Amino acid sequence: MIFWILISALTALAALSVLVPLTRSRASVEEAAAQADAAVYKEQLAAIDRDLSDGLIDAEAAEAARTETARRLLSVHDRKDETRPAPLSKLRIRSVQLIALVALPAAALGLYLALGSPDLQDQPLAARLSAPAGEQSVELLVARVERHLAEDPEDGQGWAVIAPVYMRMGEPDSAARAYSNAIRILGPRPDWLTDMGEAMTVSNEGVITELARSAFQQAVDLEPTAVKPRFFLALALTQEGKTDDAINSWQTLLEGADPQAAWVPVARRELAGLTGETPELLPALRGPSQADVEAAGEMSDDDRQKMITTMVQGLAARIEANGGTVAEWGQLMRAYMVLGKRNEAFETYRRAEKVFAERPAELAKIKDAAVTLGLSGS
Amino acid sequence: MLVELGHYALVLAFALTLVVSVVPLWGALNGDGRLMAVATPVSVTVFFLVLVSFAVLTGAYVASDFSVVNVYENSHSAKPLLFKITGVWGNHEGSMLLWVLILVFFGALVGVFGGNLPDDLRATTLAVQGWISAGFLLFMLATSNPFNRYENPPIEGNDLNPILQDIGLAIHPPLLYVGYVGFSITFSFAVAALILGRTDAAWARWVRPWTLLAWSFLTLGIAMGSYWAYYELGWGGWWFWDPVENASFMPWLAGTALLHSAIVMEKREALKVWTVLLAIFTFSLSLLGAFLVRSGVLTSVHAFATDPSRGVFILGLLCLFIGGSLSLFAWRAPMLKQGGLFAPISREGGLVLNNLFLTAATAAVLVGTLYPLVLDAITGEMISVGEPFFYLTFGPLMVPLLMAVPFGPILAWKRGDLLAASQRLYAAFGLALLMTLFTFWLWGMERVLAPLGVGLAVWVMAGAISEIVTRVKFFEIGPKRGFARLYGLPGSAWGTATAHFGIGVTVLGIVTSSAFQEEQVRTMRPGDTVNVSGYELTFDGSVPRRGPNFVEEVGHFTVREGGAFVAEMEPSKRVYTARQMPTTEAAIHTIGFSQVYVSLGERRNDGAVDVRAYYKPLITLIWIGCVIMALGAAFSMADRRLRVGAPKPAAKRKQSASVPAE
Repeated sequence: MIFWILISALTALAALSVLVPLTRSRASVEEAAAQADAAVYKEQLAAIDRDLSDGLIDAEAAEAARTETARRLLSVHDRKDETRPAPLSKLRIRSVQLIALVALPAAALGLYLALGSPDLQDQPLAARLSAPAGEQSVELLVARVERHLAEDPEDGQGWAVIAPVYMRMGEPDSAARAYSNAIRILGPRPDWLTDMGEAMTVSNEGVITELARSAFQQAVDLEPTAVKPRFFLALALTQEGKTDDAINSWQTLLEGADPQAAWVPVARRELAGLTGETPELLPALRGPSQADVEAAGEMSDDDRQKMITTMVQGLAARIEANGGTVAEWGQLMRAYMVLGKRNEAFETYRRAEKVFAERPAELAKIKDAAVTLGLSGS
Repeated sequence: MLVELGHYALVLAFALTLVVSVVPLWGALNGDGRLMAVATPVSVTVFFLVLVSFAVLTGAYVASDFSVVNVYENSHSAKPLLFKITGVWGNHEGSMLLWVLILVFFGALVGVFGGNLPDDLRATTLAVQGWISAGFLLFMLATSNPFNRYENPPIEGNDLNPILQDIGLAIHPPLLYVGYVGFSITFSFAVAALILGRTDAAWARWVRPWTLLAWSFLTLGIAMGSYWAYYELGWGGWWFWDPVENASFMPWLAGTALLHSAIVMEKREALKVWTVLLAIFTFSLSLLGAFLVRSGVLTSVHAFATDPSRGVFILGLLCLFIGGSLSLFAWRAPMLKQGGLFAPISREGGLVLNNLFLTAATAAVLVGTLYPLVLDAITGEMISVGEPFFYLTFGPLMVPLLMAVPFGPILAWKRGDLLAASQRLYAAFGLALLMTLFTFWLWGMERVLAPLGVGLAVWVMAGAISEIVTRVKFFEIGPKRGFARLYGLPGSAWGTATAHFGIGVTVLGIVTSSAFQEEQVRTMRPGDTVNVSGYELTFDGSVPRRGPNFVEEVGHFTVREGGAFVAEMEPSKRVYTARQMPTTEAAIHTIGFSQVYVSLGERRNDGAVDVRAYYKPLITLIWIGCVIMALGAAFSMADRRLRVGAPKPAAKRKQSASVPAE
């Protein structure tokens, strides 16, 4: 309501600024115009006299200038006589009044209603942040906590509260930072350390960095029975290529684990990937089994070559049949390199690129593998 | 609610400019004083409405109201308060609002302070100003409305371009816009004069203060922009012949010519065609600048808007105003009969020469600016004419002009005596020669042009002083009466001398800083020392630091001269977090008029940093000279003769009193 009153006030002000001057008497208009012109030339005549007395111009020049200016002064009076006052026109005044009272408000209001959003309230950030929590969106709540933390960065509990929210919002970087602040201020806690490591890992697309690994390690040191950090440590060993240690870790982890737990199938698949023993439950990568490897050790070079070639063919056929996973494609590329078949490896890389062209995350892994193998420059 | 009120005020202002575009002109053409009287109060009200709207937008920025699209796109809640406010015009829509605010401000100024103008001229001028304001308000409402809203506002804004997060943004655009837009009022005066058919000495007299006002602000705006580029871009350059810089420089050149040519028109009723055309062209060049910056034709820091529909709209406005005013000129040209006659060697002749050189220089800059754009549009070939083009075209035009500057004010009107004028300048010439020889002695013969440049600068400065001395007759009448006369000199004489002196100061700064600067580009490790022109800069290492909305790597340098401590300098490289954009913050230490300038480049892995260090002798004179020029314009504006004016009739006083009551 106040809004519409203010709008009416502005409109009235605008209309009045047109209407009020129309009431003025017109008597002085002509007189003033001529006076304005004459004043300029009189001022110029005075300037000429001053210049003359200052010795800037000589008498002759002053006289010439005076003549010139006087002529202009005269022409002002001529013009004044020429212009006859126009007859007063009621029509003109009436039409301007009509413009001010009708056209102006109608145009302004019509245009505003077409362009503006009269129903929308102002939404200054401070007011939005101090609104009751129930009316606020998650983003707004996060912004509120962030604001509070910016003012009081030593509030460890605040960091601990916001960290998992960041994780759910898909901002693992912020989550990791929040956990690390919470730990810095309130001291290490195994669950925070683990979640921080997880956030770092998610942000690195599954690669466990040294920093994340030490966080998991610290968590295990504090709580040796915790499953989650040990799970990630095993994964880290796998990624580092420490196969034996990794197998050990996975096996320890799986011993006495609840078979229904969500992480168990993943752990078993990882283990299978390392040992080559295919658990019945799970489809997994079929690498050479322990026995195969031992057999290979005793074989002649030719036979070993033959065995690897057979395996590679098997892998290639499997990829051909069901598309293959990123890991399988990577394995095939690596195998070709081992066999010294660089061209085939490169060919495989090119085909993998096409297969995963639509999936950037997986494509990146393929590219990484290619770079590691020296198939691609960057 | 407030935001919507601001929006409505803007719409209402547009509707009201339509009224002021028509009614006063209608009155002026019919000699109806009541209709003409509408012009002033309506212009003042329009200014008030746009001011409300500007204040509301600023309020939305300060309160981080992200329901306003413009605020969301260009602000951030963590930004310091100053940059929240300056951010209002750090973007296309907001700067357009500032542009319009200044446009209508000048309309209101002419209304309020134009009491000495004839009613018909004032009414018509305000009507023409109304057309321009209406055009730009329509442009805003149609293509760049700063009051568009979000129903569900985001939490955080996009932040402002970090290069613009600087005190420079607080000063440079407002000054520049007052200059740019100020020339709209001379344009309006010129068009009004053509419509009413009154181009006489009195007209030129009335336009003078407005031209001076716009010119002085444009001078300061350009100088400020140049200094900003100098310290913010980290290259140590202060002028890049960038198309956007040229866009502000061209109106300045044309405006300078206008200023001088209006003097002739005022004193002798000569050069009418020059003056009217220059008034039209100066503002046209301002509009061209606005078009280049906002159409997306250019890409630069200044080019916020890249929406083609905006470009087309401004191009339309450009064609309408320039084409319309030139057609009007063609229609009225026969009326512009020459007034006073003059010999080639005379003050008038000198000013014609000045006009010729300045317009030729404007044309050179225009060609250098537009040619690459046209070539790109037609053939798709990207070229850059760059500095060599401007040095070869602009430079040679300026040298003879500067040589002629001291003669101008000393020559007599109508027919002058070159020999007599030269005699008065012997001292100035001697001093210039002395300084040239001194510079040669100081620097040797390796740079031949530089000492000559120094001589030219001294010639212009000493010439300006000679003019004052000549007018006062200091040596003829003795110091006591001399000082009395010095005090009594008219403001315009002081203005001329001061502005000309300022030119000399700027030229001196340009010559010395470009010819004698020393540059060192090094990769430095902590502990390394580099020597620039006798100053030893030791790199003490660098530390990270956190700002409100950026993180920076600050390098710490200690400056010593001959082992004695001079200063500490801290250049830095910043990254603004919201946009992940890096900027370079140069460190500058001023010693006298000279400066040591250090900026950081890339950081190497082993802790070493690329460092650019300069010593720029007398470089601050470039900008000090500009300030002196603007000061000259202020002296001229303060000329006592201005106040003589016309006696105010009683009726008018009543009317102006009724304005605030509304």
